Amino acid sequence: MAAWASRLLLLRAPCWAALRTGGASESPVLALGCVRTLNGTTWFEEHLTEDNQKYMKKSISEEYRRQTAEKLNPLKDEPWPRHEWTEGSRRVGLVAVKLGMVPVWTKSGERHVVTMIQVQDCHVVKCLSKEEFDGHTAALLVGGKNVSPFHRSEETMEMFRIAGVPPKQKVTTFKVSDNALIKPGTPLYAAHFRPGQYVDITAKTIGKGFQGVMKRYGFKGQPASHGSTKTHRRPGGSGPGDPAKVFKGKKMPGQMGNYFDTAHGLKVWRVNTKANVLYVHGSVPGHRNCLLKVRDTILPRRSASLLHPPFPTFFSEEEGDLAEDLYDQDMFVHTEPSLTLD
Amino acid sequence: MAACMKRLDRAMLSIRLLRNIQLHNERSLSTSLHRLALDGEQPSKFTPPVKPVIIDKTQSVASLRKFLSPEFVPPRQRTNPAKFSMERRDMVRRRKVLHIPEFYVGSILAVTMTDPHSAGKNNRFVGICIQRGGRGLGATFVLRNIIDNQGVEICYEMYSPRVQQIEVLKLEKRLDDNLMYLRDALPEYCTVDPDMKPHPFSTTGEVPVNKIKVKMLPKPWSKRWERPKFDVKGIRFDLCLSPEQMEHAQKWAQPWLEYDMLKEYDTSKLEEDIYTEIQQEAATK
Repeated sequence: MAAWASRLLLLRAPCWAALRTGGASESPVLALGCVRTLNGTTWFEEHLTEDNQKYMKKSISEEYRRQTAEKLNPLKDEPWPRHEWTEGSRRVGLVAVKLGMVPVWTKSGERHVVTMIQVQDCHVVKCLSKEEFDGHTAALLVGGKNVSPFHRSEETMEMFRIAGVPPKQKVTTFKVSDNALIKPGTPLYAAHFRPGQYVDITAKTIGKGFQGVMKRYGFKGQPASHGSTKTHRRPGGSGPGDPAKVFKGKKMPGQMGNYFDTAHGLKVWRVNTKANVLYVHGSVPGHRNCLLKVRDTILPRRSASLLHPPFPTFFSEEEGDLAEDLYDQDMFVHTEPSLTLD
Repeated sequence: MAACMKRLDRAMLSIRLLRNIQLHNERSLSTSLHRLALDGEQPSKFTPPVKPVIIDKTQSVASLRKFLSPEFVPPRQRTNPAKFSMERRDMVRRRKVLHIPEFYVGSILAVTMTDPHSAGKNNRFVGICIQRGGRGLGATFVLRNIIDNQGVEICYEMYSPRVQQIEVLKLEKRLDDNLMYLRDALPEYCTVDPDMKPHPFSTTGEVPVNKIKVKMLPKPWSKRWERPKFDVKGIRFDLCLSPEQMEHAQKWAQPWLEYDMLKEYDTSKLEEDIYTEIQQEAATK
């Protein structure tokens, strides 16, 4: 590509040099020919005028908006066989965006804080059978939050084109049981989860950089004064003398944050089916507007909360008459009168 | 005028005619005429006249004070605005059930709250509002009073379902937006009678500003209130600090901050939009 770019310059240079100088001098042309540009790859606006770029961006965004609004659903064309929920089935999860935190109150007046999570344009992108994935379980690739198709590699775009969905900012893999496979292109909604059930949320934590042990693990440090020199925030001893080594896993300074973390067993307090917002108990890893992976919990004692969920997922055509807000039975709804104690 | 009298005569005549017709066909008559006819026979029970409603024509809806509670204004950050609008919807829903009145820091409030530990399961606390905090559903305010010579402060959550009632006993503003310095002031400034009767206040015009300046207890204080970052106007510093000390406090002044354009956050337009949105939502249902 780089070679091609320089050749283009060589070919073109004489024409406009000739135009400018009237073909009198050839020396600037030679100098121009030596200019090399670092064009490793091609990009979409390479041979487009500004108007064309604008038109392309506009038409593409319109098309993707139409695709999302169309709610392309496998129930419309030939659907895949549906199965019943059985004990031990593993459903697909969602890719959602973290909005922020708000308080909720229970019917006994206790206050909890919850995280609001919005499901934005979440689609099943690809279905991998047991053989294609790892030989043990089937898997579904799910993407969330539409993005620009430009600046994406051709292989990535091919996957989205086959599924018939706009390209996504984040695509994750969910291991699912064989009876929970969904056709690619199916939109997923927040009503996939129901109030009262528990979820696990995985995301990349906020990066704090290379940190010492006081910030990273909450070590005590040493006194600021009373004769201590050069030892105020250091870890101190790293173990006894007898093993004559430092054990593996010793807490030491290092990178803090910016790794994938999972918060397990978070209760779903409320689901807004219109805005596709989940209200999930407590804090969730990641910063605001961060893309999260939400799935049914793997905690054995919390999985019991999952009895007859929408399986394999919630289809808006089937139970379209869901209320706008689904609340957990313990949650105080703001339309109710103030609490009184008997 | 003459024409008018003529028309009246004709109307009276027609009524008389109708009374005659009544004998033939009672059903076709209007009820008012029917009553007229009955008046002579049996006097109806005395009903007191309707209490006249005095409508002040000078006080139109437009002149009512426009008040937007400060917790409706979202903080300046890169959060999806949908989050705040969903929160606002919940706040309006709660406000339809519980009347949260207009009040300011410096107003005297009475809050009735469900309290599992109190005798009557309800607790009423009267005090002066010294601080408002929080945005959205997590909005709070702090009431302070002195009970048995002991300062008591309670931080109330505005949208908590345990709040039964919020009354404004005296609506006024003070010179400052935060009265935390009352902790270090003489106790008389935050002593409120728990059985205080509500003072009447107008719903139009400006909110009265109480320009009282408080006398402080001797130092040490919980904070160095003379420092410029607190920008306190309601303290008599001349009684407790020397001019040299006041001069010395100016060492921590940051006069350049007011020219920092990145810190500007003009919410006037935002507030107007939110105000109309809330009015619309409160009108529905």
